[in-house]
Amino acid sequence: MGYIRLKDIRVSYDNKNNILEGLNLDIQKGELVSLLGPSGCGKTTTLRVIAGFIEPNDGQFLLEDEDLTHVPVHKRNFGLVFQSYALFPHLTVFDNVAFGLKLKKLDKNVIQEKVDAMIKACDLEGLGQRFPKELSGGQRQRVALARALVIEPKILLLDEPLSNLDAKLRINMRIEIKRIQKKLGITTIFVTHDQEECFSISDKVAVMNKGVIEQYDTPEEIYAHPKTEFVARFIGFENFIPLKKKENHVYVGENGALFHVDNDVDCQSCQATIRPDDILVITSVDNKENILKGTVEVRTFLGKSYQYEVATELGRVVVNSSNEHIYESGQDIVLLLPANKIILV
Amino acid sequence: MKKSLKYLLLVPGIVMLVVFLVMPLLSTIMPTVFDQGFSLKAYIDFFKDPYYVQIFMRTLRVSLIAAIVCIILGVPTSYFISRCHPKWRGLLMAISIFPMLTNSVIRAFAWINILGKNGVINTILMNLHIIDEPITMLYTEFSVLIGTIYLFLPLMIITLVGVMENIDNDMMEAAESLGANRLTAFFKVVLPLSLPGIIVGSVLVFTGALSAYTTPSLLGGTKNMVMATLINQKSTVLGDWTGASVIALIMIITTIVVMKVLNYIAAKLDKRGESNA
Ligand SMILES: Nc1ncnc2c1ncn2[C@@H]1O[C@H](COP(=O)(O)OP(=O)(O)OP(=O)(O)O)[C@@H](O)[C@H]1O
Ligand SMILES: [Mg+2]
Repeated sequence: MGYIRLKDIRVSYDNKNNILEGLNLDIQKGELVSLLGPSGCGKTTTLRVIAGFIEPNDGQFLLEDEDLTHVPVHKRNFGLVFQSYALFPHLTVFDNVAFGLKLKKLDKNVIQEKVDAMIKACDLEGLGQRFPKELSGGQRQRVALARALVIEPKILLLDEPLSNLDAKLRINMRIEIKRIQKKLGITTIFVTHDQEECFSISDKVAVMNKGVIEQYDTPEEIYAHPKTEFVARFIGFENFIPLKKKENHVYVGENGALFHVDNDVDCQSCQATIRPDDILVITSVDNKENILKGTVEVRTFLGKSYQYEVATELGRVVVNSSNEHIYESGQDIVLLLPANKIILV
Repeated sequence: MKKSLKYLLLVPGIVMLVVFLVMPLLSTIMPTVFDQGFSLKAYIDFFKDPYYVQIFMRTLRVSLIAAIVCIILGVPTSYFISRCHPKWRGLLMAISIFPMLTNSVIRAFAWINILGKNGVINTILMNLHIIDEPITMLYTEFSVLIGTIYLFLPLMIITLVGVMENIDNDMMEAAESLGANRLTAFFKVVLPLSLPGIIVGSVLVFTGALSAYTTPSLLGGTKNMVMATLINQKSTVLGDWTGASVIALIMIITTIVVMKVLNYIAAKLDKRGESNA
């Protein structure tokens, strides 16, 4: 039983196309869960259902087994951080952060105390009297976070909160978010389409595609064992080779070549997938299995390695290989697909 | 081009300004303050005459009430329009601006038809036996006010929609997520951020109402003169051009004072010192 539960959510803006379709998600208390997926797959929509801006056409949203599907936004007490930050430009940093507390009609001294503490926790000391315009991007981001957190929300919802920051600040801020999240133990949903960002801070990741969750697992599990072709592609697998099952752990390609696979799954015909980095280019053929022969078509320089596009008997394969041996286009090479690196989808 | 030469480019503009703005203004002001030497007698006389003061006060009152009513009617309407789908927004704007496209004489006549003794309102009320005698609405300050509001509400709406369109909906949603219901969010976020627009709109409505001529002369009759109709009477009917100039100048000064006051209020309320988000 999750702390947060989305049950069979369906959302359609125009009553024709479903943006979300039968979406289910369980989140435990205190977890940081990311929604990861390409643009337009429905991440923001999912977040807005949870926040209460969208009433789903079907399905339920439960928090601690209480049905909140039809509770208006302002009664939910969830903290929201928008991609645009949405700070109130006419209020100072202090008043921005105090906004939610003032609405709760708390005592003035209590507000002062809580806001000061939050401003300190978010590393904004001395900026209380500035207006949002007078802040840097990172500072604005922290004000948005402080404003959402000071109301002691039951859930924190973040919609691509780092996408407006430069690369270095993003890394600092995501560590900062993780630190504050763990310290307060607040259940958090984080929307992003950046795989690295998502893996680095999440307890669990929900990979979304076209309105459904394709895989919901820990980052490690998703990285090592993507369950569908979509998930595999999204996290950097580029080679997909159709295979048929011969016996357990042994598969055969269209050309008759045999492949040993450590991670067997229950399927008769499926695709083997492997990352370009995990394929080895070998010179001597001493075993006959897990081997693909092919011809180099294109070579590109990536910095620490070369990338080769190789035409093989089983289709085009992309390989990354170190700079030690350089292969020319047109050259015949032999590829080894290690049994422990092949994933079946 | 030499640095000093570029100032030559200003000459045509300056000539235009002097000939068409400064000179007429001076020729308006001069006769009113010179009566065998500098004297403000003409102005003092104006404010000593209860008849004139009454007209002055009526003009101020009508303009102020018109501005306030336009704010009250314009703010919710404009907010609604600004939140509409762009497809509908254009249409709604066109409908709100439409009155501005017809001639002001015709618009005044429309109100005569509505408010008159045998007008639409009185006919309906009498037929329903709610009243026995027609109510006098036409040729009162009320009818002037109605006509003026009708005339200038579109200006307020155009100005406000322009400002409100730029208020990001995220801001409203942020306020809601922090515990504000829609109405509170409107008053705490949208209204303060629309303030620059409200000020500009009010100045437009107020100055417009202050100098409007057709509407008050057609809807106010002779008993409800305002400054603009008084100027007309002085100049073309009585041939008292100096008297007309005095009134014109009082109107200019009133306009400046009101704008200064509004700007002062705006600066007080809008602490950022800049209007845009
Ligand atoms: N108000 C709306 N009316 C109609 N369609 C909408 C609306 N908002 C979103 N959509 C559609 O719903 C789909 C999902 O949108 P959503 O904003 O949830 O995507 P997302 O996963 O957050 O993408 P991104 O990473 O680009 O932010 C998109 O195809 C989008 O065009
Ligand atoms: Mg989005």
